Amino acid sequence: MTLPYQCLAACSRSTGDGDEWALFGAAGSELVVQSSTGIASVWPAEESQAKNREEAQEPAEKRVKLSPAVEQKPNFTTLKVSHDKKHLIGTTAEDKCIRVFEIEAGWRLKQISERCMARRPCSIDLTSNDSTILCADKFGDVYSLPLIPPPEDELNVMPESEKAQKKFLPSASLSTVHSGRNRKVLEEQLKQAEKGRPQPKDAPKFKHDLLLGHVSMLTDIVSATVGSRSYIITVDRDEHIRVSRGLPQAHIIEGFCHGHEEFVNRLCLTQSGRLISGGGDAHLYVWDWLSYRLLEKLPIQAAVLDYFQKHPELELPVPEKEGNFKVAVSGIWNVPFGNSTEEILVACEGVPALFSFIPGSSPSLSQTLPLSGNALSVAFIGARTAVVSVDHMHKAGSTTQIRDDQGVSRIQCFSIAQDGQWARDDTLTEPLAWFSHDAGEGEHADGRAAGTDDDTARAGFSKKVRTILYGVGNLRKRPEAEAEIAT
Amino acid sequence: MPGEPAKRQKREAYKKGLEEDEAALPKKKFYRQRAHANPFSDHSLVYPKSPADMDWAGLYPAHAVKKHETKASHDLSLSEEESRALKAITKNVEIADIGCGFGGLLFALAPRFPDTLILGMEIRISVTEYVSDKIRALRSQHATSAAQDYQNIAVLRANTMKFLPNFFTRSQLHSIFLCFPDPHFKQRKHKARIVSYTLASEYAYVLRPGGIVYTITDVRDLHEWMVGHFEKHASFLRVASEEYDGEGESDVRERVRIMRTETEEGKKVERNKGEKFVALFRRVEDPPWPED
Repeated sequence: MTLPYQCLAACSRSTGDGDEWALFGAAGSELVVQSSTGIASVWPAEESQAKNREEAQEPAEKRVKLSPAVEQKPNFTTLKVSHDKKHLIGTTAEDKCIRVFEIEAGWRLKQISERCMARRPCSIDLTSNDSTILCADKFGDVYSLPLIPPPEDELNVMPESEKAQKKFLPSASLSTVHSGRNRKVLEEQLKQAEKGRPQPKDAPKFKHDLLLGHVSMLTDIVSATVGSRSYIITVDRDEHIRVSRGLPQAHIIEGFCHGHEEFVNRLCLTQSGRLISGGGDAHLYVWDWLSYRLLEKLPIQAAVLDYFQKHPELELPVPEKEGNFKVAVSGIWNVPFGNSTEEILVACEGVPALFSFIPGSSPSLSQTLPLSGNALSVAFIGARTAVVSVDHMHKAGSTTQIRDDQGVSRIQCFSIAQDGQWARDDTLTEPLAWFSHDAGEGEHADGRAAGTDDDTARAGFSKKVRTILYGVGNLRKRPEAEAEIAT
Repeated sequence: MPGEPAKRQKREAYKKGLEEDEAALPKKKFYRQRAHANPFSDHSLVYPKSPADMDWAGLYPAHAVKKHETKASHDLSLSEEESRALKAITKNVEIADIGCGFGGLLFALAPRFPDTLILGMEIRISVTEYVSDKIRALRSQHATSAAQDYQNIAVLRANTMKFLPNFFTRSQLHSIFLCFPDPHFKQRKHKARIVSYTLASEYAYVLRPGGIVYTITDVRDLHEWMVGHFEKHASFLRVASEEYDGEGESDVRERVRIMRTETEEGKKVERNKGEKFVALFRRVEDPPWPED
């Protein structure tokens, strides 16, 4: 069985014959490419996969640590096309890696670098000139990396001897004030120092600079430009939307957009430069972020609840009582078709629909687009089309139950019709048939085909898919998480 | 843990007794708490959505804009503006003691800087309660005096590493104290230290240009760590020791002297004949935007 596309990206190019587009989809650890000209490919290609496996036998430190027995293929978490459309940047979860691909002629992907960070990247963006990747990680830090690694990166490796020479001295002494437990730690450290210090965890050896940090898991990062000024906007699990100056002054915090009461998961800049944020709160917030002013709240939770109530056939997540029903916004996309109205599409975790909002209009919810499975990702192609990836493994409305029907499409297309409303667009069904149904191997490669009768293998597989697709709800704080013990 | 219920009972009984006597000073032994807290975990903390939503009037009742008898600011029927108005005070907090512990610095600063509002922030519940009870007792003891002693200090429980910007607006403070912070000796715990390059950005945000971060510790390694991280940060310049050591009268000297001698840890180090390392960092003006 093929895996759903957890993220999509698209890219258009003008050629002599008119506009061409390509669609990139990440299904687990694979990247699938299909273009309007009918070119189709999968990364990694078959032969290079085999080669990778051989390479993994070499004592590459990272690999050895991560995978004692079976090689685990890292799954993609984000995809981003550079502004100049020459590169595709992806992050993979398990190996904490940022991978840069060159988009070659004929829409082939060639990986030109893979840089493993110390912490798992949660979100990336590019500066407006495409020179620098901004990487926000799980520990709350933002690093900058050149898009194309400079040649001297390999040379920066510290000589082994220098490392060894640094003799360990404990930071505490017996005269410092500390508790009995600390004293024990000190004794341990002294003992350890005699034996020789254990090697500290390897820091990445390529060029990467710490720009800023939150003491909270970062969920999204956006690079914004207003006139000649550039900004970095970061959001975290603790409700903060922080506005910092862009490079090279990213250490200066300009301000905060205060107002969220639950985690914030996604940011979206609209054409006019307004910022829209969403996460665990019942509303999306629309900001005049340069003055940190809340302009409007868009009722996403009410929209989702209304959708579920109108579709009783769907597996309802929990909402016995309306008050207990909580949404987790998993995606906000600015509709890039240069109309006069600003429009966004919104996806929520485990909800088989997309919600179109037009900020500033009343009511702000303009349309609900029903889907055949839970909404996962959106990409825009051509001049009026949205490609939506849907979860074809789980039941619509459920993040846990496997669906019974087979052969559901992984992709649904919508185009803006004459009346300005979205309508199902089946003209792309045929051209995208391969992308939608067959592309990518799923789990066959590992010899754990979906057709297997082994229930534990199936359960393990479905759990794995769940962690790839559905992690947003876990960002919500649990009230019982008080971890303090008074003594 | 056996013995735990007895201890809790004793503490509860003690605190009940304390409630009946407004002016009685609390005893530390009933408030002791493990010296470390994990700043990354989701403590069930209470914090305002934004500085404007902070109930300052509840902390500094003598400085409230609108004096009110009951805690009406929590009334849900009020509009956001009305509720904010009830929480407002006539002047802003300008000194923050981050990780104030048992409040030694607060109680020493209070009478020396009577016109400045000073806030202690502490992550440990029990320790915060002690400081809060002691402030209440001292205010009650001095209720009849005209000077309104100890109305300029308050304490709250907070994880400042996460939520400092929820309490203070940009450039609100002129001084931040970081006294004897948890050294987090183990290397993998260094991210939990109260000073880092990235946190310095937040301190710079709430400090006005010219404002000062005061640090003191008895751990040389931590001292060097703090100096290293603040010096690397372009928003701070280290203050020369002539400015705070030696002869002469100035607010900075006074504050450093109090920091050395009046904090609980400072006294403990004194008794153990340990070393104390002091470092001050001044927040500089932000540079102009690169392309402007």
